[in-house]
Amino acid sequence: MRLYFEIVRVSFRRHLTYRAATLAGLFANTVFGVILSAVYLGFYRGSDQVSVAGFSLNEMLIYIWISQALISLLALWNWWEIAATIRTGDIVSDLMKPFSFQAYWLCRDLGRAAYQFVTRAVATFVIGLLIFDVDLPASPRAWLAFGCSLPLAILVSFGWRFLLNISAFWLLDIRGMNMASMLVVNFFSGFLIPLTFFPPSLQALAELLPFRAFVMVPAEVLLGQRSIATALAIQLFWAVALLLLGQILLAAAVRRVVVQGG
Amino acid sequence: MGSLLAEVSILRRLIGARLRGEMQYRKSFFLQMIGNFLVTFVELITLLILFGRFGTLSGWSVAEVAFLYGLSQFSFAIAHTLSAGFTVFAPLVRQGGFDRILVRPIGLMIQVLGEDFQLRRLGQALQGLLVFSYALSNLDLDWTWGRLLYLPVVILSAVLLFSALFSLEATLCFWTTEGTEVINAFTYGGSALTQYPLHIFDVWPRRLFLSIIPLGLVIYTPSLYLLDKSDPHGLPAFTQFLAPFAAIAFAMGAGAAWRVGVRHYHSTGT
Repeated sequence: MRLYFEIVRVSFRRHLTYRAATLAGLFANTVFGVILSAVYLGFYRGSDQVSVAGFSLNEMLIYIWISQALISLLALWNWWEIAATIRTGDIVSDLMKPFSFQAYWLCRDLGRAAYQFVTRAVATFVIGLLIFDVDLPASPRAWLAFGCSLPLAILVSFGWRFLLNISAFWLLDIRGMNMASMLVVNFFSGFLIPLTFFPPSLQALAELLPFRAFVMVPAEVLLGQRSIATALAIQLFWAVALLLLGQILLAAAVRRVVVQGG
Repeated sequence: MGSLLAEVSILRRLIGARLRGEMQYRKSFFLQMIGNFLVTFVELITLLILFGRFGTLSGWSVAEVAFLYGLSQFSFAIAHTLSAGFTVFAPLVRQGGFDRILVRPIGLMIQVLGEDFQLRRLGQALQGLLVFSYALSNLDLDWTWGRLLYLPVVILSAVLLFSALFSLEATLCFWTTEGTEVINAFTYGGSALTQYPLHIFDVWPRRLFLSIIPLGLVIYTPSLYLLDKSDPHGLPAFTQFLAPFAAIAFAMGAGAAWRVGVRHYHSTGT
């Protein structure tokens, strides 16, 4: 247990060295947040509807800044650290070490997420709220639940990224997989637009997929749009399911390494 | 002039080599091209869903916004294809590869551009083109000679401006190879921003993108002319014709910054 805690700590510290990149990323998230906010302000002000697809303008602004903050927290795009070790062959030594390979990477990812949380994610959210003068939900229960929902979102996103990365055992070129993942994650997580805006058939599809646990569900929890118990249960289910699937896939992949002779 | 022609022919050969390299993985190439197309396609679907819910975006119809969107996506994708060398510049500087470039007797920019060329990005250009044609077929535009002749100028200006922005990403590497995501906010951010009418933005972003980073002058104001619309904040009509001047001025500024950067460059020694 102590070992895993150490891995989290070292990973957190390792990220501390990327200060300029963090600031640059924060700036980029803010710029995109401002653009999206302006677009929704334009849409809402030009319309006589107060609430669209269950979102008031104020709720929509909160939603936008949550999703911008989640980009770094969940490493939504282009996270291929495990695949890189498969490519170089370094993975062999990691597999031989006396700890769970998946838990090792999960701990590294938790360190990464903790770093992104205290630096980029919170700052992005706060900057957005200040620029657009948003009213935050006052319910402490909602905030507490949001506080539980975020770590679960990190687990689900890690579960997904672990699967993607392990696929590099079979695929020589991961760029196609990267695109496919961006496509489904951006669309079905609610990152591009809240899922309630979808037509009913697409909404039904999105309900069946794990991706809404990334963005839509945490936002619904904070905004009080879904019962907290169901929301957290959905996230927990997908976290467990994806992590288990990762174990199974890893076992299959390791057999492959043995066949190839390492 | 002779040396310029020689340089262009070298660039053509460098890019030819990159293309042949890319084509070695034909399946991967086509999959990525389709991927590029689809990734931008879901953004479009998002936009269509929004218009389905709201009707208009502060006075602009879906076809009018599609016009901006197509114009912006197409020019951005072309610029991105041409400028790929700028976007892979950071690792080149970090690993000392720029020293190799400095000692060769050919223009620096030519070599940097020849470092990479990503034809697969044309998937996005194709998508932009399709959206643009959708816009044209749904808009009843009055195609005067002026508009017809100005459209290609606008596209070239936008490609030039986006390419100049990408070059700044490379220029920044002379000082830091880490914080270059700042420029992403202006390249990718600029492409996102120009997909929407500029008047929806607050006064400060509007001023910034009509002056120092003149993205508004190459997409938004020319589109006002092409679509025969007016700016609700009362921008003067002459701003609609500034596209080529703004793009050239910005590109010259970016070129000057590049030269300052080259002089500032100290090898990492690796």
